[in-house]
Amino acid sequence: MKPSNLVILLAVWLFSPVGTAIADEKQNIKSSKPAVSHAHRGAKTIHIDNLDGATISYISPDLSTQSITPVMGNVTIPASGMDNYHALVIKKDWGNDIEVIIRYQYMFGRPSKQSPARLTAAEKSEFEIVPAPLPREHYHYHSQQKWSFLVRFQGELLADQALTLTTSNGSQQTQITDQQGRVTFIIPDDFPDLIDGERSKQTAQFTISGEYQHGDISYSTQLVADYRVNPSHWQSTELGLLVLGLGFLAGGFLGQNLKNRDQKV
Amino acid sequence: MSTFNLSVLRKLVQICAFVFFVYGGLLTGYYLEEKISGALPALSCAYDFQGSDLCTLIPIQHQMDHRLGETITKGGNLLMGIMPTLITLGTFLVLFVILNKAFCGWICPLGTFQEFLQMIGQKIGLQRQESLSKSLVGKIRPIKWFILVILVFGFPLLTGMGILNHDLGDPFCRICPSRILTTLATGSTEQLNIDTANATTITLSLLADFLFGLIIALGLTLRQPFCRICPMLALHAVFRKMGLFRLIKNASPRCERCGLCAKACPMDIHEIHTDMTSRNVTFEDCTLCGRCVEFCPDKDVLQLKYAFVPVFSADPQYFKSRKKAQTNWEKQNLINWIGGKSAKGETQSS
Repeated sequence: MKPSNLVILLAVWLFSPVGTAIADEKQNIKSSKPAVSHAHRGAKTIHIDNLDGATISYISPDLSTQSITPVMGNVTIPASGMDNYHALVIKKDWGNDIEVIIRYQYMFGRPSKQSPARLTAAEKSEFEIVPAPLPREHYHYHSQQKWSFLVRFQGELLADQALTLTTSNGSQQTQITDQQGRVTFIIPDDFPDLIDGERSKQTAQFTISGEYQHGDISYSTQLVADYRVNPSHWQSTELGLLVLGLGFLAGGFLGQNLKNRDQKV
Repeated sequence: MSTFNLSVLRKLVQICAFVFFVYGGLLTGYYLEEKISGALPALSCAYDFQGSDLCTLIPIQHQMDHRLGETITKGGNLLMGIMPTLITLGTFLVLFVILNKAFCGWICPLGTFQEFLQMIGQKIGLQRQESLSKSLVGKIRPIKWFILVILVFGFPLLTGMGILNHDLGDPFCRICPSRILTTLATGSTEQLNIDTANATTITLSLLADFLFGLIIALGLTLRQPFCRICPMLALHAVFRKMGLFRLIKNASPRCERCGLCAKACPMDIHEIHTDMTSRNVTFEDCTLCGRCVEFCPDKDVLQLKYAFVPVFSADPQYFKSRKKAQTNWEKQNLINWIGGKSAKGETQSS
């Protein structure tokens, strides 16, 4: 199976946004959720097709790793109970052809006391693309933003390596890593049907992929993540400055008033 | 005459604390490892990517919303629902016991910013010298309690219970001037944006920007305008008796006729002067800045004590030199400078 197929399968990851997730998800939480929730706490079950020959591992922020065995295409992601980023690594090793897909997912729980840099620094496969850095807690990838990634082979950074970013909205761009193995992409602003001034909760998925030949073995790797519509579509700095200015004038007026009032008292 | 005094020392500490809490993440790398406590008793904002710790009010709001509120709605174990908040408050208390309300007067980035505004106001001749009246101070004081109860605990809890919409999950953070200040200080205008997503976000972002502008203008003419309504000050007030750092008064009969301490107080706490019975005069609005001690002319009447050890005491000699330094500092402003120039010009022309 080619990595591109795995990407499609990963789209059913339970955290995928409404509209793209078609997973057969069963949350292991008995009671119903309220309207608002950090929905990443309990164990989850997702359905992934074509997992024959794939090994799945789930790495917690403290680097403890669990192997996950799919049952009839159903993969149960255990609750680590830990806050912070976790990594889901799906790997297929055909001898001369090694494919890997990695996804970093923020999970909620008790504080892990770990930096996500530890998770990204850990070698999860010989050839891998690593976010540098990951979005901070409560932050996400957004369209129009610049994000950097590193490419490593057997722990060494790879210069002049071609990487391609494709999105589920149909955009594609290719960049070459610099001498430090770093590449920077501007995430495409490619969401359909956006209306200026109105919030859009659409999310989509981007995949950064690369291939590398080492001896007889060909490696392919993919990093998969969700991205959201840039809030600049419904936020205005100019208006903010105007309101700040009005506040400043009101403050001047109020300050003068307080002074006069106190002088009378 | 030495220009070094407690106020100068405090300014140095404030500048260091500002740099550390606003930009500290640049040295240590952002994120969890460099969040020292995640429950800092000062307004060091989580929205600042480069910050090195979080104000305790943001986890409290999130825990009200995502833990306690949800637990109440689901009918779960209330103890488990409140446990994260207790842990946050416990962490807050560990730090708070060490410095008490000095987190406001010595550490808080927003407090430092307002003192900076005050200096600008003084230098351009806008800063008022007299205190606010007792009645006005009395009217302002309850606002901080209202903000603490309603915005830090109430709305987030109701949001978690599904009664209010998600955008009211952290309403204090949405209007907090420290959010705009610290992110602007790192070059980001993101938090200055008016958010037109819905009526709640429009209202909160309008309020936030208006309040920030208001604080800047008021800060030029009035000492510590936001501190007077800050919910962190109210939270401090709840636990102030537990702090090791305290303001102590050994009242003397001369106190009744003096009142310099209250005039020096940036928070206009008149009770420092009028209260003749309390020994611990770390009042609810006190930020332990120590200015009242500096401007007390009688030996040991006012003291900053750490546990039982006096670390700074009122002293007539110190008072004299401090008063002189203050007079010199206040003389040097734009209005006097312009006045001096024109007077000089008139003398020359005549």
